[in-house]
Order: sequence, then C-alpha cells, then structure tokens
Amino acid sequence: MSGGVPYRNPGWAGNTGEFQLSEAQVRGDDFVGTRPLAGGHASGSASYPYMLEEKRPDAPLFEGPYQERLDKILTRYPDRRAALLPVLNLAQEVRGHVSPETMDRVAELLELPRAYVRGVATFYTMYNRKPVGRFLIQVCTNISCNLCGADDVMDAFLRYANTEPGETSAEGDFTVVEAECLAGCGFPTCVQINSRYYENVQPVDVPKICERLRAQGR
Amino acid sequence: MAYPYASDREVRVISEYFGDPEARTLDGAKRRGRYKGLEKALSMSPDEVVEVVKASGLRGRGGAGFPTGLKWSFMPKNHDKPHYLCCNADESEPGTFKDRELMRWDPHQLIEACLLASYAIRARHAYIYCRGEFFETNQVLAKAVEEAYADGIIGADVMGSGQEIDVTVHVGAGAYICGEETGLMNSLEGRRGEPRTKPPFPAAAGVFGMPTTVNNVETLCATPHIVVHGAEWYRQWGSQKSPGTKLFCVSGHVNKPGNYELALGFPLIELIEDVCGGMRDGNALKAVIPGGSSVAIMDADEARRCALDYEGVAACGSMLGCASVIVMDETTDIVKQVRRMAAFYAHESCGQCTPCREGTSWVTKILRRIEEGRGTEEDLDTLIELTTQMVGTTICVLSDSVAPPVQSSISKFRDEYLALIRRGERVGAA
Repeated sequence: MSGGVPYRNPGWAGNTGEFQLSEAQVRGDDFVGTRPLAGGHASGSASYPYMLEEKRPDAPLFEGPYQERLDKILTRYPDRRAALLPVLNLAQEVRGHVSPETMDRVAELLELPRAYVRGVATFYTMYNRKPVGRFLIQVCTNISCNLCGADDVMDAFLRYANTEPGETSAEGDFTVVEAECLAGCGFPTCVQINSRYYENVQPVDVPKICERLRAQGR
Repeated sequence: MAYPYASDREVRVISEYFGDPEARTLDGAKRRGRYKGLEKALSMSPDEVVEVVKASGLRGRGGAGFPTGLKWSFMPKNHDKPHYLCCNADESEPGTFKDRELMRWDPHQLIEACLLASYAIRARHAYIYCRGEFFETNQVLAKAVEEAYADGIIGADVMGSGQEIDVTVHVGAGAYICGEETGLMNSLEGRRGEPRTKPPFPAAAGVFGMPTTVNNVETLCATPHIVVHGAEWYRQWGSQKSPGTKLFCVSGHVNKPGNYELALGFPLIELIEDVCGGMRDGNALKAVIPGGSSVAIMDADEARRCALDYEGVAACGSMLGCASVIVMDETTDIVKQVRRMAAFYAHESCGQCTPCREGTSWVTKILRRIEEGRGTEEDLDTLIELTTQMVGTTICVLSDSVAPPVQSSISKFRDEYLALIRRGERVGAA
C-alpha cells in the first residue's frame, strides 16, 4: 500500500495487503467443497441452487438427486405450502428459468392452486420468467455502488456483451440486468454472476471478467 | 477483524474472526470459544437466559432498535403450541452488508446464537431466512449447520441437554420486503412476501400461526457473548440506553470502506477520518446517510457533531437504523442519488397499500423529471406533500421510508434541486 490508496483486488473483496487470503478462502470454497446434488443434510437442502451455467429448459424436474432433495425439503416444514420457494428454487436450478409450465408442475406437486403458485412465483425477482444466457450478470446500481461508478460498470458489461438491459447477447452467453442492493456495499461495484459475487469491479475489469467466464465457466 | 481492513479503534466481540477462514470449521469454531455460551445457557432456565439478555440492554440491530430481552419475554411460557424462532438474514437495506460477513466468516457463532435463543423462547425449530442472492454465504452456513448436526449440537439432544431444537437454512428469492418481519413470515410460509397487519403480533400468532420471535443476525450473534460474560460486561461499552458494540457498515467515498465493530456512541467523524482512512482523494465531506437508505440525510455539519448511538443520531435529526454509514463527498449529485433510492422503493413496494404503490412510483417520476431539467419549484412542494401522506398510512414502514431521504435532501440541499430546475428553465426558454 502506498499513499493511503487501497490495494484493489478485482473480482472479489480479497487481499488488501492487510489480510493474506486466497480467493477460495474468501469465498469459502475451500470449506464448502463440492456439495452433493442430493443436498446433503436435510437442514441445508433448501440452501441451493447453484444457478448452473448449463441451463436445460426441458430437463425433467425432481428426478434422481433432485427428487431426494425435494423429499428432504418437505421434512423441514409443517405444511407443503412452505416448501414452495425452495421447490421453485430447485426447479430454476434444473431448468435455468421458471416457465408457466414449471409453475403448474410445482402446483400439482405441492397440491396448491395453479393461480396461487403463479402469484407467488411472479412476486419474487429471482425467478427468471424467461430463459437467460449462460451467465446472468446482475450489476448493483443502488446508492453505495452508484456513488462509486456502478452506472459505468453496467455500461461496460452491456458494451462487452453488445446487448440491452434484460436481454441476452447474440451468442447466448450473457444476460445483463440491473440489480437492487446486493449487500456488498463496502466493495463497490458489486456484481452477481450466476451464483458468485464479484466485488470491487470497475469498468476496466469487465473484459477480463467476461473472458474468464467464457474460459473457466466462473 | 475489520475485514478487509484492520483498525485498532475497534472493539471486536462478534467480528473477531472476520478474515479467519479456520473459524468456519466446527473444530476451529470450538477452539475460538464457540458453543460455550450455549453450554452455559443450557445450564440455566430459559427465563434466566431472557433476564440476562434483558439486563444487558441489547437492542435489535436490524433497524428498529427494540430491546431484545423484552421481545423474548413476550413469548408464552408454556408449550401448548409449537414456538418458532426466525433469524432474519434477508439483508437488503441499501448500504448494509454486515449479516453476510457474519454468516460467511463465523457461521457457528450464528448457529450457537439460534440454539440459545430458541432455548430461551422455548422454540423447537429455528429458521434462518437467508437472502436468495447469497449463494456462496448460504453454502457456508449450510455446511456449518450440517457439521453441527453431525456433532450432536443441533438435533434431538442439543449438546446432551435433552432439549430438541432443529435449525433449517431457508432461502428466499429476492424481495426487499421479506426483511420486514411479517413479510418474512408470509414468505417463509410459501406466500407472497406481503406484510401483515399487527396485531396480532408475532409473539401471539406468527409464522404458521404460532408464537414466533424474529431477530436479526447481528442481534442474535451478540447473545452468546452476553450469556458467557454477563450483562454488566456488555454494558461496559456504549451508553445506558444504547449499550454494547455495533457493526458499522461504511460505504461510499472513504479510503477504507468495510465493517467496523465499535462501541456505540463512537463519533461519526472519527469513524470517517480515522478508522476509514479519510475521504477518497482528500475530497471534502458533503453528506452522510447514517443508517441505510431509509433514514434522513445529514449534512457535513451534522455529521461532524454526531455520536453513533440510537439517541445521538436521533439528536442530529436522523436514525441509526442498521448503522449503514453511506459517506458522500463534494462530487456527489444528491438529486440523482435520492432518485436512485426512490426508484429502489418503487421497485420493492409489494403493492398492497395504495399510498405506497402509487406514491413510490410518483416520487420517482417527479425526481426523474427534476433531474432531467424538466422540473418546477412547485414539484418540491409536491414531493414534500406526497411523502408526508405516505407516512403512517400503510401496513408496513416501506412507504414511510421514502419520506426521510426525500424531505431531508430538499431541506438541506435545496440549492441543488433549484439549480437543476433553473438550468432546465433556461434551456427551455432558449
């Protein structure tokens, strides 16, 4: 560090020169390891999804490990309705978005009216109601990030992906959207890409991040 | 530690192991003193635990500042119905990023606290309602919960005490309003996260219609330390009415933003100048939002004399809220930032109550008009009248939250609004 200017580590709120940590340590990857698709212990089986890079809009829902996870989720609540959000999360993990057909299937499974499930699913912003690209890029433009140039970061992602807000780039790789506060305000600009947070992002970092995504999937 | 920057002005009670990856593992957590508070609590009666927390004066860290022990004491003292604890980890107030750090660095501290609180309020099941966007954090927490189950800390026989308590990590799906306690309960039940009218209060009829206590992550995390060391120990920091330590989330135009745990009552200006390494590029301080986007903006003079506790911030015309200190320097466009906050509320309004659904979007439209140079001076009066009508007329306080930033910015930075309006008039005339 020199002149009181903090050392930046783009991509994650990491090494500032005062802590010596690897990216895996900061993210907790070294502790969590690879989680089983079946969800591990029932207590945490609702804590997914991964928001997978590969999205399979026609994949069967709730089969194999996903069926196991569903069964575990149902043991954690006194009624089936309470499992609605975790089950919709599960459906989105498999298919990448929640279509009206998916909502109907979930309604049937949880013995809830179809209109009710649609009402709930459309209330929450995290359910993608149409397919998104391999990488869903959500740029926080709320106050703390905005003060530090989030609008420019948003523009940089749009320029790189050559797309409009909410739309998917032509080759299907990137969907860029504006997000509300992601609770990473100390490390602006905070960007969520699929499951991961990228912090301290500045416009100059955007091409590097996108190239890394294409090459490594994260 | 004040990850990612350290400061020796801190009092590290709940943030001691930020930046220490070993604290996440069960072994590492135990070596660092985790589960000692729970062990001690289990040797006491539930009412004795409530009394200790009450005596400590701990106040809710989610924004409202309600005394935690008192809240716990509202729960029925029998087992006629199942009781529930909900931990509010749906952190989404703009400017706030403390609960995510607490969960991702020290998950066992929160698990211990959930078990301790469940025991005190006679709950058999604690739900940790986590924000959906926190995928990485939720995985860390879920893994830690699994470890605690495998070790017999959670489950049918909590640490060999004969108590049965379950903990479930529940994940939301992106809605600010689910951070409101009754909205959270509706969401947990699988409904739209629309707040409920009170009464009935959660302690009488909460989640699944049963007695429920909802506590913020940071509030809960303080309780094991209070039980281990005693109420007087906790009162060595802060004041009579605002005892203890608090995480301050500092963001915006400072050199070293981050979470800093300080004794309540810490001078705001020292937080900015000393702890956070001063203003970015040596710029002058213009304004501070001391408690997240829902509170009044302070100008530089107010910020210079403000002490950071519930009473001190109120004396400067704002609220401590969840202590999310957003610092703005002289380059800041206040009108743009207020418009951005208003747009946030318009996006997050659940739409149940007309003053909020209509008001938030009209406030945003008027601010946008002013920002683009198409406003008039009467628009400022309209904004004040409109936001005044949005206070106290709805089920929850989301609508009320729009008034402080809008009204305080108009009264303290009126010149900036007028400059935009005048410039627009000149361009229009030409």
